[in-house]
Amino acid sequence: MTALNTAPRTSRTAPARPVTPPAKPRNPWRVVITVAITVAVILVFWSVKVDWARTVNLPADIARYLWLMFSNPAWDKVPEALWQTWRSVEMAWVGCLLGIVISFPLSFLAARGIGPAPVRFVLRGLFSLIRAVPEIVIAIVILSVTGLTPLTGALALAVNGIGTLGKWGYEAIEGVHPGPIEAVHAAGGSRWQTVRWGIWPQASPEFVSFWLYRFEINVRASAVLGLIGVGGIGDMLTSYTQYREWPTVGALLIVVIIVTVAIDLTSGAIRRRITEGSRVRDLA
Amino acid sequence: MSAAEYPGLPAKPGGRWKIWLAIGIIAAITAVTLAPGIGVDFSLDAILRNWRNGTEKIGQLLVPDWSFFPRTIAPLWETIQMAIIASVIGAIVSVPLSMWAARLTNPNPVTRGIVRTLLNIVRAVPDLLYAAVLVAMVGVGALPGIIALVLFNVGIVVKLVSEAIESGDPGPGEAARAAGATQTQINRAALLPDIWPPFINQALYAFELNVRASTVLGLVGAGGLGLLIDAVRTFYRYDQLSLIILEILVVVVLIDWASAVIRKRVK
Repeated sequence: MTALNTAPRTSRTAPARPVTPPAKPRNPWRVVITVAITVAVILVFWSVKVDWARTVNLPADIARYLWLMFSNPAWDKVPEALWQTWRSVEMAWVGCLLGIVISFPLSFLAARGIGPAPVRFVLRGLFSLIRAVPEIVIAIVILSVTGLTPLTGALALAVNGIGTLGKWGYEAIEGVHPGPIEAVHAAGGSRWQTVRWGIWPQASPEFVSFWLYRFEINVRASAVLGLIGVGGIGDMLTSYTQYREWPTVGALLIVVIIVTVAIDLTSGAIRRRITEGSRVRDLA
Repeated sequence: MSAAEYPGLPAKPGGRWKIWLAIGIIAAITAVTLAPGIGVDFSLDAILRNWRNGTEKIGQLLVPDWSFFPRTIAPLWETIQMAIIASVIGAIVSVPLSMWAARLTNPNPVTRGIVRTLLNIVRAVPDLLYAAVLVAMVGVGALPGIIALVLFNVGIVVKLVSEAIESGDPGPGEAARAAGATQTQINRAALLPDIWPPFINQALYAFELNVRASTVLGLVGAGGLGLLIDAVRTFYRYDQLSLIILEILVVVVLIDWASAVIRKRVK
């Protein structure tokens, strides 16, 4: 291909000169690292307690179970499944709202230029600490106080939401254009007025957009939280899985998938409308 | 009034009602989600009843039971093994699938649509639900956890990489097409070199998510630290739970750091 690319140019400018392609770049480190990683991965595959020989039958097994689940789903369980899904979505919604309410002021305090340095440092540490702990573990910790109720799920999602929303929030604030902020300063605005008129109008679409995104995450996470018994669709799904009632499991999975995809699509459409604006009005 | 009194000023933009409408809808949904009977029960008396006992338990988190450490080593290692294996398998599977799912590398709208729809469905189910169902299918152990993580990985990596392909430069592909290459040759020679950096990036990102996810998969019997979490939580041994959480924190931070170093090198 190199020869093809260069041929017309050489023919036009100078008499034919043998075209020697440049030597391939060599990077000995790349080879060393690739080999090292490959060996490590092979060791991990070899050392894990999995009977790899058994995986030969796996596709057939899984196909059999998929058939059991989806060939004749237990449609009569759908009303109950929808009710439990509603419990999960409630958890997601309440958790999302609580997370927003708490993280909103904190993300401003954690942004450079607004919060004092020590506060900023502590808050950022807190956000990353929270983000590293899975929400199901947070739920296990707080259920000793709140018991096995949907409230526990909502609180766990709220705590986890503080970690992610706080981080996205201060990043959005720090990413705004400095012009309006300088303009507010120049007009003699206070710190509060800077936030209200210099930062918020720029950052608000992003904030609303990741609030919605967090709700999408919560919808998935709330289904998972049911596994420890706080109620909702996850709870129902684990019990029917343990009884190995595959037609019901199939129906529940269908409900989960449809509800999740529907919420994702709605939320995604709203997010696009907020961040990109309406096309129609731009043209008018 | 403004337009009449100050002819130089444009009218205030309309559409404020939309914000109030949005706030109204949010308030209505919130009211329903908190309504007694159908909503999240915000009963404070249960919290007050459990308060002393519960805070005592949570207080135990501050004094980790270090003697528990030897028992956590094997599950911790299994967690990391699951994450590594799932990331590798997921990454290998994701390369052809991302090419199938992107317009530049697969101009056929039918096959592209099929792959995308399937992946949207795969992504709609959270990893722990996969693990719960797979444990019932293939039995307790690391294997269902690995399969659940692979599904989770493929969902994310293919979505992110195919988006990266779409936003990439169509030039090399067009050049190869003009030179008479077939679609496979175009993908292999012209587009694949551009795909590697975002691919490695997203595969590493998925690996970070896997490490987090694999720590809790054991809660449903899929191996790793989660098995221990499940054991200590039934006995309310929060001092031991505290040690496990600490280990998760250390592992997650280390892996994130290593992955950040590699990603910086790739860029």
